[in-house]
Formats: sequence, structure tokens, C-alpha cells
Amino acid sequence: MKSWKKLCLLGTTLFATVGLMAACSSGNKESASDELTFWYMGDGDQGIKPIVDEFTKESGIKVKIQSIPWATSRDKLLTAVASKEGPDVVQMGTTYMSEFVDAGALMDITEDVKKSDSMKSDNFFDGSVATTEFSGQTYAVPWYTETRGLYYRKDLLESVGYQEAPKTWDELADAAKKLAARGDNKYGFGVELKEPTFGFMFARQNGSELFDKNDKPLFNESEMVDALKFLDKLVQDGSAPKTDLGLEIGQSFGGEGVVPMFISGPWMINSIKDSAPDIDGKWGVAELPKGPVNNMSVTGGANLAVFNSSKKKADALKLIEYLSKPENQTKFFESTNSLPTNKKSWEAEVFKSDPLISVFGKQLNDSQPMPLLKQWDEISQNFMKQWEQVVVSGKNLQDAMDELNEQTETLIK
Amino acid sequence: MKKSKSPYFFIAPAIALLLIFSIIPIFIAVTISFTDMSLAGLADFSRINFVGLDNYLNIFNDKVFGQAMFNTAYYVIIGVPLVIIASLALAIMINFGENKFFSFMRLVFYSPSITNTVAVSVVWMYLYNPTIGLLNHLLSYVNVGPIMWLTDPSTSKLSLIIIAVWKAIGLNMLIFLAAIQGIPKEYYEAAEIDGANKWQQILKITIPLLKFSIFFVTVTTLIGWFQFFDEPFVMTKGGPLDSTLSVALFIYQRGFQYNKFGYAAAGSVILFIAIIIVTGIQMKIQTKQKENEG
Repeated sequence: MKSWKKLCLLGTTLFATVGLMAACSSGNKESASDELTFWYMGDGDQGIKPIVDEFTKESGIKVKIQSIPWATSRDKLLTAVASKEGPDVVQMGTTYMSEFVDAGALMDITEDVKKSDSMKSDNFFDGSVATTEFSGQTYAVPWYTETRGLYYRKDLLESVGYQEAPKTWDELADAAKKLAARGDNKYGFGVELKEPTFGFMFARQNGSELFDKNDKPLFNESEMVDALKFLDKLVQDGSAPKTDLGLEIGQSFGGEGVVPMFISGPWMINSIKDSAPDIDGKWGVAELPKGPVNNMSVTGGANLAVFNSSKKKADALKLIEYLSKPENQTKFFESTNSLPTNKKSWEAEVFKSDPLISVFGKQLNDSQPMPLLKQWDEISQNFMKQWEQVVVSGKNLQDAMDELNEQTETLIK
Repeated sequence: MKKSKSPYFFIAPAIALLLIFSIIPIFIAVTISFTDMSLAGLADFSRINFVGLDNYLNIFNDKVFGQAMFNTAYYVIIGVPLVIIASLALAIMINFGENKFFSFMRLVFYSPSITNTVAVSVVWMYLYNPTIGLLNHLLSYVNVGPIMWLTDPSTSKLSLIIIAVWKAIGLNMLIFLAAIQGIPKEYYEAAEIDGANKWQQILKITIPLLKFSIFFVTVTTLIGWFQFFDEPFVMTKGGPLDSTLSVALFIYQRGFQYNKFGYAAAGSVILFIAIIIVTGIQMKIQTKQKENEG
């Protein structure tokens, strides 16, 4: 009798706890079984919802959009991988691709993509396609892309004798120096300390391949080291700020133009329009200044993939197919300023007529993604640490890059 | 003598929750720390390999972990005494006052403790802003600065400590206040008759009688500083030059940024052991003092 009571008690307790836990876990299973779940990275789904609603009208497939802020997207994806319960369709940042493909989180859709008119890889920019293919298989479809251009204050550059944006490194350095000479706390160009792609981008412009054919890092070779020397010199002679100024774009780029030239992606267009209306018409975007070898920019952006745990592969692919159509990519651009990856979309009027956007369109032809390695995130974090020591505490650049090379070799092993 | 079962019934839910959310995860973490678990291993357990003590050997050779240990020690050694002295001093001062104003001050000092750390950190980031921050603006009136609060490795740790101390004072002050109000008035009256002044009363009566609450606050504050995470996570991400990286943040970055779960678990086991050792030492000191008194 007593032991029976004990058992009962234990049972009840366990049952209650399990019930509690079940209530805590957000089950995708319980959501209507015919609904497709779509994880969309971004703040709010205003940009994407109208397009997806259209899709539902056409196909009859209901879609539940969950918008996840970029900042927490990684944690969310990790949880999905661990619990083996993810969405059906997921938006993947191009830089996340290699590690999640390696972990087997994404479905292999090689055959489906080949057969589909709107998803086949010929439709898209090569730089974007490169982020979807791993060892000959396709795991995603390019969705939107971004590349970096040079933002500059026309009026201030004119005041130092530049009618156009700097076209070469030398011009960039010269203009930056002259602009920095305007007075205390004025600079010419923003050398990003917290942007992991910045140094590598300049290294490529100086002809660095970053890695050789056998995935051996080339960070301590002269191409990369000299490129970083060029950037370091800009900081040390005061043409670029040494630390983060802690200014919003309206304060640094607008007004007196504390930092009148910087490199960034198309998302900055709206930020500047919103927070610096005082400089309307006084600023522009140009293709990156050419380095000794080229003016290669960085391709980023996002792809659409089917999560491996999805039970609705066919419907998921229908949604991806729909979103890949040129007219829908154009619609998405209009609501979010995300550049289409579909080459056909770029034939739309807006991309030819808009002086700012068309620059990014041109730059896309000279733009490459960061190396597609699953360790890339850590490598670029290590780079930033070394770079910080060079800029802030005057560490020897060659030593720093030697160390980075060594760290990277151990990581990739 | 029939023993009743009912106590077990009452503690069962608590024990079950503790097991599921605390004790079992600790054992899992210890297990993971001997493996090379990464994102791939998370998706497919067959890709996890046991690596023995490799993670521990690597982490002790990791310069960044060394820096994180140093930073955490710095936070503990500076932060803990500051919190205790400040909250005790405040509690004693507020206790002297009996009117409405002092109860209002109690609320003022307590409010940072109940405000969300992330929100507080954002506001402080504006105060610390090197170019447009209030603090540098005020300093400019006395021709000091500008100080690069968060972007200079020599001041970054202290900048974070200031915020954390300011946040921790409220709660500990309340604990001390409650203890102070529990001290019988007769002691003070007796001391006054003997001619002791206020200062002597504090030193000879208040502080000795607060021994236990001081011990309690010391333990909780120590553990809190060992796990210092929120402020560096939100404000500096461990920078500049890893100068604000705490061990807890190091664990988070290795685990959730680089997907090195095995390595991160090894770090958390080391932190766990460190906290247990330090708390154990304190317990020992406490019991010793009790024996001496008894």
C-alpha cells in the first residue's frame, strides 16, 4: 500500500513536470499540419508578407511566417538543429551556409533546382550561386544579395578638389588626408575596426587569394600584409578614426561630415535618408576605389533553403520557387532595399534609373563572397583581434598576420 | 514512531525541477567537456568523438582564456568589496533617517536592481559615448578628458564595474537594512549611557551583529561576479583587445558563436569548480569564526 502510494506520488510529480515542459516547448507539430512554416530573418515581416500572401492565393498553401531578428537568428538555428525540429523553409545568411550544410541541417535540392525554370542556377549571379553549392550539390536557392560600395559626401570632396569619388587607393588616401586636415575631430575615411570582412576585402583588391588551392591560408603573404599596411597608415596619420566614435550615421556622415567617406552596403541608403535629411543631394555612392589589382567587393546576402526536418518538401520548394521569380524579387527589393540575385530582376526600371542602386548593381560584377569555410566565423574573429592590436597597440603587422596564419592552419586541420 | 511521507510530497516538485533543469544538465555538461561536440555533432550524435582531456589541455594553453580568467579575477577582487562596502554604508546611512525622504531614497537606490540590464546598458552606453556622452561632456568643464571609457583597454573594465556595482547595491542594501532593523534598540541605548558616540556604535554594535548577513551577501556577490556576463555581452562583446572578456562570456562565445560545445563545456566546468572552491573556503572561515565565538 505504502509503496503503491509512493509510486503514485512519483508518477504524479513526473507527469506534472513533463506536462510543464511540454507546455514550454513550442511545438511546430501542433500548428496546423497543412501550414508551411517559414523563418524569415529581419525585424518584422512587413516586407515579405504581401508577397507570401499572394503565393497563398495562387497555390492555396498556407504559410506561417516567423520573423527572427538577425541578432538572435544563429541561436534560433542552433536550437532547431539540436531539437531536429526546424521550419520548412528557412532564410540562411550566406555566411552561415557552410557550417549548417556541414551539420546536415539543410536538404539537398540539387535535382529539384535543375528541373525548375525559376530556381536553376543560370538565373542568378555567380557570386550568389557559389554560396549555395557545396561539393557539387545544391542546398539552397539565392534570394537576395548585397555588396559594398563607397558612400561619400560630394560637397566636402569638392571642397578638397575632388569633383568625383576617389577611383584608386592613392586617390582615396589623398582625399582622406585632405579631408582630415579640416580640423580637430574631423576625419576623411572610415576604416572599420568591427567589420570582419573589411581587411580581407582590401587584401583581395591587392591580389590576395586569401587561401591557396589546398586551403592553406595566405594571410602573412605580402599581398594581404601590404593592403593592411595601407589601412593602418590611414589610421595612424589621422585620416581615419582610431576608435569607434560611437556616433550614429546622422552625426558622423551628416552635418559637418565627421567621417565623410565610408564603405557599406545598400541598407545604409535608407538609414542616411532617414537620419541625415540635412545632406539630401549632397552625397552619393560610388564603386569601390581600385586597388593595385582590382576593386573586388564583398558579396553577402541570404539564400532560401529547406530544413532537413521538413515533412513538406514539395510545398516548401513551391514557396522558394515563387520567391525566386524575378518579379517577386523586385517586389521584395521595393519593400526592403534587398538587392535581387536574379539577373532578370535587374532589368526593372528602378535599377537603371536610381543612381544609388545602379552603382551596387555594377559593383556586383566585381564582388565575391567571403571564403566558404565552416570555420570562417572564428577565423574572421581572430583576424579582428589581431587587427585591433595592430591599430590600437601598435603590434607589428607581419607578426600579427604570422600568428593569424598559424591559428588558421590549426583551425582548418 | 511513524514517519510521515508528506514532506516528500511537498518537496517533490522542487526536486524534480532541480534535477531536470540543474543537476542533470551539469552532468551532461561534464560529459560534453570530454568530447569534440560541434554543430555537426549536435545534429548527428554519431559524429561526436571522445577526446579525453584534450579540451582541458587546450583551454589552459589558450591565451584568450587566460585573459578571461585574469579579467574575471579583476572583476571579483575589485567588484565584491566595492559592492559590500557601498551597500553596507548606504544601509547604515538610510537607517539613520526616519522620514519620508529616506524611504524615497531607498526606492531610488533599489530601482537599478529591478531594471533590465540590457536597457540599463544601452543608456550607460550613451553616457559613456566618447564623442557625445554626458560624462565626457561634464569632464570637459573641468578640462579633463575626453576619456575613452569603453574603447580604451585601461578603463574598459572599470567602466563596466561601475555599472555592475551601481546595479547590485540596491538589493544588498535592502538585505542589510532588514538585518539592521532586527538589532534590538537596547544595545544602542546601553552604549549611549556608557558614552559611546554614533561612530563607535556602528563599529562595535551594528557591524559585528551583521556578520551573518555580510557573509550571505559576500557569497552571493562573489558568485555573481564570477558569472559576470550581461554588461560585457551587451556593451563591449569582450573588447577592446579582450580586456573586458569574462569567463562566462568566453564560454558563450566559444559555444554559441564558434559552435565548439565541447571546448565551451570544459570552460564552464572549470568555472563551476572555481566557484565551488571559493564558496567552500568562505564556508570554512564562517564555521571557524562560529567556533571561536562559541
